[in-house]
Amino acid sequence: MSKNLNNSNYSITQYYYYTLISVEFMTKEDLNEIKTPLYETHVKLGARMVNFAGWLMPVQYESILKEHETVRTLAGVFDISHMGEFIFEGPDVIPFLQYLMVNDLKLLEKSKGQYSCMCYENGTVVDDLVYYEESPERFRMIVNASNVEKDFQWINKQIGNFRVKVRDVSKERCRLAFQGPKSDDLIAPLVDTDLSTLNRFYFVFCNLCDVPAFIARTGYTGERGFEISFENKYAATIWNALLRTGAGAAGLGARDSLRLEACYCLYGHELTNSITPIEAGLNWLVKPKEGIDFIGKEVLIHQKKEGTSRILVGLNLLDKGIIRENYKLFNNGVEIGYVTSGGFSPTLKKTICLALVETKYSSIGTEFDVEIRNKLLKAKVVPTPFYRNI
Amino acid sequence: MDLKFPADLKYAPTHEWVRMDGDIATVGISDYAQHKLGDIVYVELPEIGAVLEKGNTACEIESVKAVSELFMPLTGEIVETNGNIADNPAFVNSSPYGEGWIMKIKVSNPDEIKNLLSVEKYQELIEKEED
Repeated sequence: MSKNLNNSNYSITQYYYYTLISVEFMTKEDLNEIKTPLYETHVKLGARMVNFAGWLMPVQYESILKEHETVRTLAGVFDISHMGEFIFEGPDVIPFLQYLMVNDLKLLEKSKGQYSCMCYENGTVVDDLVYYEESPERFRMIVNASNVEKDFQWINKQIGNFRVKVRDVSKERCRLAFQGPKSDDLIAPLVDTDLSTLNRFYFVFCNLCDVPAFIARTGYTGERGFEISFENKYAATIWNALLRTGAGAAGLGARDSLRLEACYCLYGHELTNSITPIEAGLNWLVKPKEGIDFIGKEVLIHQKKEGTSRILVGLNLLDKGIIRENYKLFNNGVEIGYVTSGGFSPTLKKTICLALVETKYSSIGTEFDVEIRNKLLKAKVVPTPFYRNI
Repeated sequence: MDLKFPADLKYAPTHEWVRMDGDIATVGISDYAQHKLGDIVYVELPEIGAVLEKGNTACEIESVKAVSELFMPLTGEIVETNGNIADNPAFVNSSPYGEGWIMKIKVSNPDEIKNLLSVEKYQELIEKEED
């Protein structure tokens, strides 16, 4: 063990930052730790708090494995108030988002959300996010915690003549995720709307514990569930009510292991300002959008047609060990890629990882080496997602 | 935290415990260490026969969120490892002083033993770390 486990815990924490967000955003300023409206609640529950993208967040309450299992078998409540929330208003919201986003808003309708990436001109990613159409002139957008300021600046820089106003309401509102196979049943007594008929990516405004809330059928765990947003002042009321349903509190540790099993990209890992959505396996996300110009279109449409020299794959480790982010991949001693996210899968009880490899090594069944602390272990390309239950 | 520290063990400042039996030292990680690491999912056991000095890395312990090193609390030869934790790494969490032991060392420099910490000194050290 390390001499000072708190220091080492710091290094664990540091390591943890690395596994969860891009190093490029870990500046000293991020150590001005911001608290979500539920900070005291987490501490009372015995959570281990870590700095994540500048926020003091619960990484685990008792055990990441247990929290993971609770979400896979029952339901878990996550505080995701560190994520960003923007409101877009104005007559040009749809054309503006069409210009920013790689996905096609023609596929969207009122009361529905859409996952997308906004990219730079060279096709690499500013952020991946979800926006919801509340009306053709009003959208709500949820962005990554580590990118809130960058996104807000980027978006405003692109507005030009578009008649759109963007507001950052992140710090006025609390966001929770309620995820798991029993989430429908457990939330039902707390709401004044039938959520069981709410289809994936649709949302409603309703009362949750008699409090006005935005509830969307979205998530980041690979389970059915909801993402919820409401005013800060109701945070403890709603959090406690959701826990009283029998669901468990779940931290960022479980959030990461769940999303990795479900193969959802995490910004700073599978998507960065040097990786395009096509390379990250999000070919389906980039739409042709004929007659519509969008930032990054030229590069992305070309990549969509011609392919890329590297591509994201899922790997299992054939030997024993745990694969972590940034471990290098070799074929006959020649470096062919690196691990973007890796770890132990609590559901599958084996090591799983996502990796960017040269495309010629990306077919299912291909075997190559992973370097773990100067040793080479065998890994194999496997179908993804590793696990999803939706 | 309701952590246990058996009084009959010696402790290293790097959070390993040592149980001496003749010149054989059984080694594991303390309850405090397992608690700090969280769910342990893999232990890369050291090589039997390896002769390592005090402070050298003996093996790696992987928890869900991080990898940590286990250091040699004493100089010596690794004569046995706990094969059970290869299949059940969670023993290191649930029974750090029992089923979760990690390795046995044939101690080559018994003078080093007196430099290990008593349970009182070790608990003082943890309290300092927690402050």
